[in-house]
Amino acid sequence: MKVIGTKITTNTSLFLFLGFLVILFSFTSEHFLSPYNITSLLTNISYSGIAAIVLTLVMISRGLDISIGGVIGLTTVVVSALYSQSDPLPIWLILTIGLGVGAVVGLINGWCITVLDMDPIITTLGAMAITRGLAYVISDSQSILMFEETTDFISNGVIFNVPIPILLFMLTALIFSIVLHKSKFGRSIYAIGANEVSASLSGISVNKTKMILYVLTGIAASVSGIILLGQTSVGMPQHGIGAELEVITAVLLGGTALSGGKGTIYGTIAGVLILGVLFNGLTISGVRYVHLQIFQGLLLLVAVATYEIKTRNEVAR
Amino acid sequence: MKPTLLKMSNIFKSYPGVKAVNDVSIDLYAGEVLGLMGENGAGKSTLIKLLAGAEILDSGEIYIEENKLDIDSPSAAQENGIGVIHQELITMDTLSVAENIFVGQLPINKKTRLIDWKSAYKKSSDVLALLNSDIDPKSTVGTLSIYEKQIVEVAKAIHKNTKILIMDEPTAALSEKDSKSLFEVITRLSKQGVGIIYISHRIEEVFNITDRITVMRDGKLIGTKPTKGTKQKEIISMMIGRDLNEFFPEIKSEKKEVMLKVTNLNIDGIIENINFEVKKGEIVGLFGLVGSGCLNIARSLIGIDEIDQGEIYINGKETSIKNPKNAMQNKIGFIPIDRKHEGLTLDFSVKHNLSLQSLERLGSGFLVQESIENSMAEKWVKKLEIKTPNIDVQVKNLSGGNQQKIVLGKTLETNPEILIVIEPTRGVDVGAKMDIYKMLEKLCKEGVAIVLVSTDVPEILSISHRVLVISTGKIRKEFAKGEANQQELLYEASLN
Repeated sequence: MKVIGTKITTNTSLFLFLGFLVILFSFTSEHFLSPYNITSLLTNISYSGIAAIVLTLVMISRGLDISIGGVIGLTTVVVSALYSQSDPLPIWLILTIGLGVGAVVGLINGWCITVLDMDPIITTLGAMAITRGLAYVISDSQSILMFEETTDFISNGVIFNVPIPILLFMLTALIFSIVLHKSKFGRSIYAIGANEVSASLSGISVNKTKMILYVLTGIAASVSGIILLGQTSVGMPQHGIGAELEVITAVLLGGTALSGGKGTIYGTIAGVLILGVLFNGLTISGVRYVHLQIFQGLLLLVAVATYEIKTRNEVAR
Repeated sequence: MKPTLLKMSNIFKSYPGVKAVNDVSIDLYAGEVLGLMGENGAGKSTLIKLLAGAEILDSGEIYIEENKLDIDSPSAAQENGIGVIHQELITMDTLSVAENIFVGQLPINKKTRLIDWKSAYKKSSDVLALLNSDIDPKSTVGTLSIYEKQIVEVAKAIHKNTKILIMDEPTAALSEKDSKSLFEVITRLSKQGVGIIYISHRIEEVFNITDRITVMRDGKLIGTKPTKGTKQKEIISMMIGRDLNEFFPEIKSEKKEVMLKVTNLNIDGIIENINFEVKKGEIVGLFGLVGSGCLNIARSLIGIDEIDQGEIYINGKETSIKNPKNAMQNKIGFIPIDRKHEGLTLDFSVKHNLSLQSLERLGSGFLVQESIENSMAEKWVKKLEIKTPNIDVQVKNLSGGNQQKIVLGKTLETNPEILIVIEPTRGVDVGAKMDIYKMLEKLCKEGVAIVLVSTDVPEILSISHRVLVISTGKIRKEFAKGEANQQELLYEASLN
């Protein structure tokens, strides 16, 4: 199958690049391949990885969500603020409300994008500012400490020696790769991204599908937020600043097309891993955080440029 | 004899599977209006695109005033004095008249290097005056009438020394009065020595304003006749050819029950008081020129165009159809006019396209059951004789005819009882055409009610049991099979 064929080659070259990075950093730093560093690397990428997996679906449907970082910040603040009340709600309810934050933001994003036919970038840019602003207002710009067993377990616990965030990331990847690649719903997502008019004429509920995708992305961002909260034991409005950049870079790096209709979960996993390895490797090789930002920006541009060059060649053929 | 302005000789242009222009040669004299006629798909538009630089020819030569030219881009065409007015108006509605006329070439003040608006407006007025028009160059184009927009397009095409002006169906959206004014403009321009190539389906007006008429059919040049002394009948038979009738299968309708009934359908300003019914196993043709409202009737039946008034009855039951999904649920299938943008997902494989409309039947649960999908696809590839290496090939790699068969198969998989078919054989080769007609015949036998919208005159006359002629949004005439000939049909459709 031709489509699958190109997918495999794209993904193979991504994993080859990943292998190259791993070998490179194992030379530049003796600590890179230590079990401790690998575990910490994987745990760190899990939090943005979960959002990246779900965003892949949105981007395949030719959408975008840049409110992810804002939702992460708002979720940490809402959850920690609720917990710090003198007589807090049960933790399961607080966490559900936390996930509800993302769901509501996603619902509003989806509604604006489908019913009002607003541009996804602008809509979610607005949502990004609003969520971040709300986080500052609710927290009164303060950090809210939260030492709580369940969140601590979610973020720092292990099952069979594997940290739970990594398990959550793997589970998300598994579920959504089945949804995207094997389900009828997944097929509709590709159809909408590749040609919305023909999808609609084929009886696919375009608006409903998009709405679900934005809600799912919102919830995924909230999950990321809860993990981050547990890892840091503090809810604060600055949490998740720049996360959208990281997540979008990972998805694009994984070969998902900005123009919709193309992309895979495997690709996104590769994108997340490359980004994580690159950051971790550069950090332990002594590169400063401010410089990492430049690398991240460059990587985003390279990812998009590669895609553009590839499509141009395809058209030329 | 007037001097020759343009000479196109032995022009060839092929697309995958179609010889769109096949050894065509034409001449155009200065100050002449040359009519270019032919059925849809005859190759007129392609020929014009080659001249306008929108497409590049495979082989052949183009001479303007004896100079051989390579027209490889729209700007090369413009620089050589070729102006084009396209069928669809492409004015920029939010900009002023002057900005539209001088798009990209607004006069610049030498000193300030800024746009010299005074001169832009002055020059615009001059060009418009040539066209006998007093449109204010400062006004916003969006506020103008369709005729005025048309004039702006003409002004845009002629403002820089245009020697050759191509007009593609310029009266399609104009009223009779506005058309007359446009003809005066055309006469004026030709008196100034401009050579005009005039494309239209409206035979009457072509006979009124042209000096000679060139007819194309199936990509070939059939002939060029002086307008004076030639009969309309001759041109029509040149356009359609005589041997076409035997090409169409005889499709019998035997059933009596009414499947689809439409009463008093109205879309404000577009269609008015449309009433008709379609029996099981019957093909009802809707025929109209561009902008007649035919397409809107079809689109309202599947919930794309919203109706302002009227009822749709399916199997005797009043049904409101809100969107294409709703139409599908009511067993209405749809073959859209534009297979590349509406009918197919070009990046999808053959099988993914064929199953897209029937996802819910690919297994009982949430997941796609691939075995069902594969056999679904294999079934249609066989039934419709779709020529493809395998079912996993992307449909963008297939020929037009095979793509059209996939659109048909995809819809038929939903088992429609009513089928709305728009231009089913446009840009399709002869073999695939026959296959598509055979399929329609088979569907009739199975009792499917078919509404056929087509501007292909021989096609609509031969395969419909009845033809309704639509013009300016109303049903003007109904012909039973065999009652009308092609001339009459075209004549009725061109009445206002």
